[in-house]
Amino acid sequence: MKAYLSAFRMRLRMETQYRGAVVGGVICQVFFGLVLVALYRALYAGKPQSMPIETVTTYVWLQQAFFRMMLASDSELLDKIRTGAIAYDLCRPVQMYGYYYARIMAQKLVGSLMRAAPMLLFAALLPRGWGISVPDSMPAFALAVISLLGGLLCVCSLENITMGFTMRTLDSRGMQALLNLLMMTFSGNILPLTLFPDSWQRVITRLPYAQILDAPIRLYTGERAVAQAPGVFITQFVWTAALIALGLLLWRQNQKRLIVQGG
Amino acid sequence: MDTLKLYVKSMGMLLKSQLQYPASFCLQTLAQIVMEAGELMAVLLLIDRFDSLNQWSGGDLLFFFGLMSVTFYLTECFGRGITGNFGNFVRTGQLDTFLLRPRGVLTQVLCSAMDPRRFGCIAVGVAALILGCRQSQVQWTAWKALAFAESVFLGVWLILGLFLIEAVFCIHSVKSVELVNAITYGGRSACEYPIDVYPRPLRILFTVVAPFALTLHVPAAYILDKPMYGWPAWTAFATPLAGAALFAVMYTVFQYAMRFYRSTGS
Repeated sequence: MKAYLSAFRMRLRMETQYRGAVVGGVICQVFFGLVLVALYRALYAGKPQSMPIETVTTYVWLQQAFFRMMLASDSELLDKIRTGAIAYDLCRPVQMYGYYYARIMAQKLVGSLMRAAPMLLFAALLPRGWGISVPDSMPAFALAVISLLGGLLCVCSLENITMGFTMRTLDSRGMQALLNLLMMTFSGNILPLTLFPDSWQRVITRLPYAQILDAPIRLYTGERAVAQAPGVFITQFVWTAALIALGLLLWRQNQKRLIVQGG
Repeated sequence: MDTLKLYVKSMGMLLKSQLQYPASFCLQTLAQIVMEAGELMAVLLLIDRFDSLNQWSGGDLLFFFGLMSVTFYLTECFGRGITGNFGNFVRTGQLDTFLLRPRGVLTQVLCSAMDPRRFGCIAVGVAALILGCRQSQVQWTAWKALAFAESVFLGVWLILGLFLIEAVFCIHSVKSVELVNAITYGGRSACEYPIDVYPRPLRILFTVVAPFALTLHVPAAYILDKPMYGWPAWTAFATPLAGAALFAVMYTVFQYAMRFYRSTGS
């Protein structure tokens, strides 16, 4: 366990080193958020929905703020797979899956927190109906934070499955793009899941992608009542456990037939 | 003319080289199709929920979306040297070799890369255009076809011009500047929808600074018979020239910036 913890800590420190690169990314993401909010406001002006616009804008800002949680992958691991340096990792006295799980978790956690803090501050300063609203209640906020951590565990296990496929095919840009698209669409990044057709809601909110950010956001805005929180946590836990099991299986099989690239 | 021939020839060669790995090429093109189809799905779902956006019907929105994706991905396909690789040329010092050859730097950059996988995205854009025309029952005339062709053609130059901003920053500071993405990729996302739905600051940004509205939206509105801001028909042919103007300005700036280019030496 200690080995994984120190892998996590090392990665945490490394991620905090590149603060300069964050600024440009944050401004860009804020801009995207403003455009989306403006668009949804225009759509709402034509045909108001049962869900208030404040909820939609809150949804958009939280999605934009934690954007990095979804699209951050371990480029070092990708390089290692391509160059064959992965052979060194096989010699380490730690379980490879767990080692990389700890690393990607640190990367996603710090990467998104560093971006989320300034963005949420900005969004909080925007006028009502443009920015982010306060959480539905204090308990709702606490539960949302807990389920955000659950979402982090879930997205890391998804990421490791994508990596598992990369190991298999070396150049899995096609596969990676497909999996990422699924993630962006069904996590509510391209379009809030709450704006998907009502008849789809039952299915899409139970997919693993919805557990990453959609579930915490719905707790935050109060669309999922506090009493429903245990159900949310169970869904998150079941998916995470299942995905980790699947990932472990995939990595183990890969290790058996791994061909170390030479040269 | 000679330059054009050179460009066409390099494009042919690049295409041939990309097709050497047919399986990988097909899979990646498929991924591009799915990716753009995902964006299209978002538009369709919004139309399903909201029916219309101000005076624009669902079909109109599809038309705007299609026009933007065709234009943007044509640029990414045939202008890959500027939109994708320029930063690397500066970082690796490859740009130095371009300076030695008896051709313009920009010509060589453009001739150096092509991304045929983008045909997937373009195909989705065309599908959206066809669907949009059907639903909005567009009556095509020779004038409208001309406006459409002009819009796409000048739109490509406009987007190239915007990516040149990033190139100029890159010459200056070696690092590519993420901030510029706000008007290139941000412009693409925002201007998939007609400009008049946005509040004034965004409208000014995408009309004056990055004139997507003038180059793409004014002609599109003319084709859909719903003139933008009630402007007369001739504006649909005049305003797209803003795209060419922006490119001309950025071209001059680029040439000026190249005078201060200092190789990374690697």
